[in-house]
Amino acid sequence: MSNLPGSNVGPLARLLQIAVRGYQLFLSPYIGWSCRYQPTCSAYMMEALARHGAIKGGWMGFKRIMRCHPWGGHGYDPVPGCGCEQNKAPSEDELRLTAL
Amino acid sequence: MNEQRNLWIAIAASVAILVGFQFFFAPEPAPQDREAQVREQLDVNGNIAPQTASNVPSVPGGAAPAAPVVNRDAALAKAPRIKIETPRVEGSIRLVGGVIDDIQLQDYRETEEPDSPLIHVLNPTGSDNAYFAEFGWVAADRSVSVPNSDTQWTASSNELTPSKPVTLSWNNGSGLTFNREISIDDNYMFSIKQSVKNDSGSDVTLYPYGLISRKGKPTTAGFYILHEGPLGVIDGTLTEIDYDDLAEDGAVEKKTTGGWLGITDKYWLVALAPSSDEALTTRFSHHVAENSDKYQTDYLGAARTVAAGSEAASETRLFAGAKEVSLLDQYANDYGITNFDLAIDFGWFYFLTKPFFLFLQWLNHLVGNFGVSILIFTVLVKAVMYPLANKSYKSMSAMKKLQPQITKMREQFKDDRQRQQQEMMALYKREKINPASGCLPIVVQIPVFFALYKVLFVNIEMRHAPFFGWIQDLSAPDPTSLFNLFGLIPWDPPQMLMIGVWPLIMGITMFLQQKLNPAPADPTQAKIMMFLPLIFTFMLASFPAGLVIYWAWNNLLSIAQQRYIMYKMGI
Repeated sequence: MSNLPGSNVGPLARLLQIAVRGYQLFLSPYIGWSCRYQPTCSAYMMEALARHGAIKGGWMGFKRIMRCHPWGGHGYDPVPGCGCEQNKAPSEDELRLTAL
Repeated sequence: MNEQRNLWIAIAASVAILVGFQFFFAPEPAPQDREAQVREQLDVNGNIAPQTASNVPSVPGGAAPAAPVVNRDAALAKAPRIKIETPRVEGSIRLVGGVIDDIQLQDYRETEEPDSPLIHVLNPTGSDNAYFAEFGWVAADRSVSVPNSDTQWTASSNELTPSKPVTLSWNNGSGLTFNREISIDDNYMFSIKQSVKNDSGSDVTLYPYGLISRKGKPTTAGFYILHEGPLGVIDGTLTEIDYDDLAEDGAVEKKTTGGWLGITDKYWLVALAPSSDEALTTRFSHHVAENSDKYQTDYLGAARTVAAGSEAASETRLFAGAKEVSLLDQYANDYGITNFDLAIDFGWFYFLTKPFFLFLQWLNHLVGNFGVSILIFTVLVKAVMYPLANKSYKSMSAMKKLQPQITKMREQFKDDRQRQQQEMMALYKREKINPASGCLPIVVQIPVFFALYKVLFVNIEMRHAPFFGWIQDLSAPDPTSLFNLFGLIPWDPPQMLMIGVWPLIMGITMFLQQKLNPAPADPTQAKIMMFLPLIFTFMLASFPAGLVIYWAWNNLLSIAQQRYIMYKMGI
């Protein structure tokens, strides 16, 4: 499991990461892609679990999925606290609601 | 180097899945821990002792004649019997003990051959797979004689039909007269009214009981998505206990008022439903007798203190038949049996599976072929999802077109994931690709597909239902195999190599569908994707053909939808 992000991750967060990885490897190719964001929801969840642990990270990942729908936002949307927000794409691109 | 290792990990994981699949899904032999079994037996025997610490007696172990075990017909011929005859059921009641232990369903056969034997739900005591229901009273005072499994009952008639109930009676010789009126409806429900008249001159305290006893663990489908074994709705909650768990973990005792309890197979159920106002102590137990496992589900009702000169009564129903969903609903409604429909394993997504179930049955009655009903239903589900899927397919197809650019970009920023993600979004913008429909719709759809899958798995209408050609039973695996060239070579391949035509079609359509999607950025994911159709082909080969057909058809529809979009987009 060397390719799971984060080196100091709690056991519950690790378990969730393994589940997400399982989804990425075995389910996602079959279902196809539908994500409106970069990083994708599953990658976001992985990152959030690594950075913020099972509870907070899991909640952040859940909230991300909840806004990934046809009337939600789209664009570049990194995990908060990763130190990469300053590279954020223009906010109008990230937050603009698409017309349908 | 890292990629190479990931590939090996992927292959190892695939093999682990295949092996694990065999391990978990193949029917496993009964546990052989002799010591535990002996201890278990002692425990159970201890339980049968008259008084427990709380001074409440327990239900006896059920009829267990000492005579040698014989086959069904011989066991039936042994004791005098009351014939049961209804439009859908034939069977008999053993007059000794008043046990209901012979039920044959007139509408269901063991295989799809028209002359194959009819299904037996209950089997006579003394036969090698005895399975029966017994009723009676337990006396608080052990010296009071109550009917038991050797009691010679006197019957009011030698035949039980829907229009003609039968009454059994017995006098204990010291003033207690026991009566038992048994009736049956046109389907699978018995009604048992027990009464006792006390002319003994002194008060007696009696507890009514009912039990279902089954000898030997039946062959289960072995799929973990389906419960087979003891179950019940106790205190409004469904309780399911696996045969193995009961043998290993010991008896489970619970109190409830109302509800039902019994033992279920995939399609058949035997269940007791005492009056809904009766306070019950229910028990699920296992013990070893005559070298075979015995599973028992029983209840003990509230104490009746029968004063000298007065009477007491108790009523219960017994279901023994096929789990037809509309029939269970009707009984739940008519007799106030809480959640009786949960005898069908609808699973977590009950609110989806049950309507799907009813709709599929309705479709089946309309078109007359369950396989065709599955195809139609899948089209309808797809139609509902169409707009959402379309949006995602459009986005994916556009991405597919830009694949060379994306690959180049990824190569350029291969050490900077954030930069990759930003460039990706910039590409979307530059090429005016509309965003996909999102992950939430996908997450919402997963339960829908799982529910459909579950419905197909448990639906009794799929049993022995033919599709076309070589599929004569949608609930059984595709009987053909690639490895004997679909029957051209006279050889029966081992289970592992029974890869039928439909699983192959499923695998191929899955492969084609994946080809339409853009390659994933993650190299491990890309490698696994190549193996996935192969893994699924092997895995699904042992699944009911109806499910594989559904899956293949679903793939075909997805491909058609996506191809059409690509055609319109000029890709």
